[in-house]
Amino acid sequence: MSEIKTLEIPKWGLSMEEGTIAQWLIKEGDSFNKGDEICEIETTKIVNVLEAPFAGTLRKILAKDGETLPVGGLIAVCAESEVSDAEIETFIASLGGSAAKAPETPSEQSKAETSAPVAEKAEQPQSVAASAPAPAKVAKGDYAVPESLQGYQTSDELFTTPHALKLAEKHNVNLAKVSGSGREGRISVQDIQTAVRAAGGQWPDVKQQTQAKVVKSTADDSRVPATPVARRLAKQWGINLNDCRVSGTRGRVCKEDVEAVYYRNNPNSVGVEQSPQCAAQPQSTVTTVTMNGMRKAIASRLQAAKRNAPHFRLVVDLNVEALQSLRKQINETVPQVKLSINDMLIKAAAAALIKVPEVNVQFDEATQSILQFSQADISVAVAIPNGLITPIVKAANQKSLAQISDDMRDLATRAKTGKLQPDEFQGGSFSISNLGMLGVKQFDAIINPPQGAIMALGASESRAVVENGNVVVREIVTATLSCDHRVIDGAVGAKFLSSFKQFVENPALILV
Amino acid sequence: MSEAQFDLIVIGAGPGGYVAAIRAAQLGLKTAIVEEQHLGGICLNWGCIPTKALLAGAELATQFKHAGQFGFQVSQLDFDIQKLVQHSRQVSAQLVQGIDYLLKKNQVTVFNGRAQLTAKEKLEVTDAQGNSQALSAPHIILATGAKARHVPQLPVDGTYVWTYKEALVPEQLPKSLLVVGSGAIGSEFASLYQDLGCQVTLIDLAKQILPTEDAEVAQFVRKQFEQKGMKVLTDAVVQSIQIENGQVHCVIETANDIQTIVFERVLSAIGVQPNTTGLGLERLGVELNPQDFVAIDDYCKTNVAGLYAIGDVAGAPCLAHKASHEAMICVEKIAGVANVHALDRSQIPGCIFTHPQVASIGLTESVAKAKNLPIRIGKFSLTANGKALAIGDATGFVKTIIHAETGELLGAHMVGHEVTEHIQGFAIAKYLEATDESLAQVIFPHPTLSEAMHESILASMQRAIHM
Repeated sequence: MSEIKTLEIPKWGLSMEEGTIAQWLIKEGDSFNKGDEICEIETTKIVNVLEAPFAGTLRKILAKDGETLPVGGLIAVCAESEVSDAEIETFIASLGGSAAKAPETPSEQSKAETSAPVAEKAEQPQSVAASAPAPAKVAKGDYAVPESLQGYQTSDELFTTPHALKLAEKHNVNLAKVSGSGREGRISVQDIQTAVRAAGGQWPDVKQQTQAKVVKSTADDSRVPATPVARRLAKQWGINLNDCRVSGTRGRVCKEDVEAVYYRNNPNSVGVEQSPQCAAQPQSTVTTVTMNGMRKAIASRLQAAKRNAPHFRLVVDLNVEALQSLRKQINETVPQVKLSINDMLIKAAAAALIKVPEVNVQFDEATQSILQFSQADISVAVAIPNGLITPIVKAANQKSLAQISDDMRDLATRAKTGKLQPDEFQGGSFSISNLGMLGVKQFDAIINPPQGAIMALGASESRAVVENGNVVVREIVTATLSCDHRVIDGAVGAKFLSSFKQFVENPALILV
Repeated sequence: MSEAQFDLIVIGAGPGGYVAAIRAAQLGLKTAIVEEQHLGGICLNWGCIPTKALLAGAELATQFKHAGQFGFQVSQLDFDIQKLVQHSRQVSAQLVQGIDYLLKKNQVTVFNGRAQLTAKEKLEVTDAQGNSQALSAPHIILATGAKARHVPQLPVDGTYVWTYKEALVPEQLPKSLLVVGSGAIGSEFASLYQDLGCQVTLIDLAKQILPTEDAEVAQFVRKQFEQKGMKVLTDAVVQSIQIENGQVHCVIETANDIQTIVFERVLSAIGVQPNTTGLGLERLGVELNPQDFVAIDDYCKTNVAGLYAIGDVAGAPCLAHKASHEAMICVEKIAGVANVHALDRSQIPGCIFTHPQVASIGLTESVAKAKNLPIRIGKFSLTANGKALAIGDATGFVKTIIHAETGELLGAHMVGHEVTEHIQGFAIAKYLEATDESLAQVIFPHPTLSEAMHESILASMQRAIHM
């Protein structure tokens, strides 16, 4: 088998993008079996051990301890000893592009190493099996039957367990030379092991075999034929279908196959009974509402924002008559679109954020830097039962009013059904909170960290205003901008508000 | 006028509407439902359910006819159709209460009245007393259903010329009945009235009765109908009618001649039309499809922002279970539930509760052939099924259409006792994309009618045992 195989940074989770080699657990030249521990890889969340997805010999380490590579980045090349070093080098050279995929692999160093003399390789210690008398290079956990015991043959005289018989046939063991320890002299796998080891051979530990380190494939298993139930169970239990035996009809993995893997991985999982909960609760006139995760997040985030961010506020009145009439015109003529005032104010804010990007920022406290964004990702506060959430209209500056409206309808609904993905409500470069539909005239909002500012919008209402010395009635919305003074100064905030007012009062500008 | 705000409002509380409302509430949306008449819609009140209650009576009548075979001598049979109608109405009333309970349990707000869309995301409900209430929601689902279609040559008067509604509550059993239209509704009533002792004539302008069913099935059912004394005219139309002396004189044109036949009553069952008028759809610019149903996309969205349509109003097949399924698709898509799949029309089973019953799913033989699909056909007659013989009702067969190369189950067509209960087996198989081989490996229990399903599959593989 002169195949050259590679080891890569596996994908251990949806969010995993890269991994750092914490430590190699085997050396170049070591051979390993499928499931053996190869190296430790650190992600942002955990340090995990990479287990060998196949058996082979580690020939070349491409990523040293401490190097960080993206998921899929090459970390090592494996091949059997008959593959020459030259072939390995050619193989690595042929990867060219792939090697570049691993950005932090110092190519200089890697070249220097690949050109290391062959002799050095030979000096590398062989596997543990080298200590055994068998001359062949045998990996730990492999079978090596000494010549004296070789020669499988069946005989009616023999009394063995079926498993022992099978293994004996597979590894060419002369069972006549093995003494059985079972009832009536039945030969077990254990007996073969004892005999082989006594004769100086190698036979993996029987118990270890069954409890061997769990092999977990990371390969895509969507194409493994499986029954619907099996696929669902595997997903539920985090089992890769590649790790399941195939015993179902038409070559499919069936329910039992997945269960077999599950019970192998969780030997103690059967029959765990839960102790009955004590039901009686002390009576009280006070209703205690335990804060759920969202409540706690709101509490801690906004407490932190109020404490850490020096808020200052700027208030402006917006004449929304032109905006209202444009909205009416669009809603009445285009069936596919139903704009709310809020949709239009989001668009106007996005336009103003692009014009005054100093407000379109996040404060990175750790590095004491201000992150200024090129597009306006606007978080919009949506009230939901027992809390609120701020789904993001991404790149609102690039979206049409219809798109913003569709996004908002979808985001607000999914906020209520709890179906938002984390990236749909985490982040954002600016926030809008609108309590106008609840009749609020004006209010101050607390900044949504790490953002630099939030705009609070009140109700649209008819108010008496003075224009050219005359009192006239106009439709007015009061907007209040809260800014974090650490990153946004008063004049900058004022500049943003003035730009926002201009877009709101001349809505043709947000259409182009 | 204060406006009540909801996350989602459903118009119409039939099997599409109430399912949509309950599912939306389950998913955490503040939901309302508006119904003008009865919760449960046509299905519960004037369709599926009450007809099944009447058919149970017809079934009994048939059994009495064959009682002698089992050793019973039934000497004097009295039949009071009023009692049967009463049973049917009672079942409907009970189920309507059940829907009311389910909606309450799921905290769906029910508005009794007629809804009219006033603007996008807005509607007004007017109750019987003329009181109005404005409602608004970012998502409004139309589930207003359909009603009987009318043609000028067959003016329905409710006394001599009926629709299904009058046919459900007859004051007495007519001596003769002309049923116009041999779709599911027409055929069911024709079978029902014939079994109860009325002389029925069934007429259709198509070349076969049950025009959407497999030709072989339709031919078989026609023969059964004729055997029990029904007259069946295909390729025929009612040109005009005239009511004289409490009788309906019908001028019927067939391929060969024109004749006038007199009936006591006529049932118009020439199809349904969607309830799209008086809802304010024009105001919002809602697009209709060429058949005048509301046009929707794969997930039941109309062309108007925030407006959806499900069930009969959104197009054929006009079946309760299709409406309920669309309700799930529509609401789950709105709510952002993962893995929502568009309606696959090849997966909708159809059931016709005639005697014998008809059930089918997927392609008919002629459609499969028209699509140039390589097919293998398996057929198994109930006359070789032990259970069918034992219960004394061995009329019928199971026909399966298998893709010759992939083994996929393309269609299944069944006629016989309780086949409507069995078709789900093929529906599950189809959904799971089972092949002929996997179905052949399923163990069907003995002695059951369902063994005929197994044998039909085996027959398609030239492996039938009992044939």
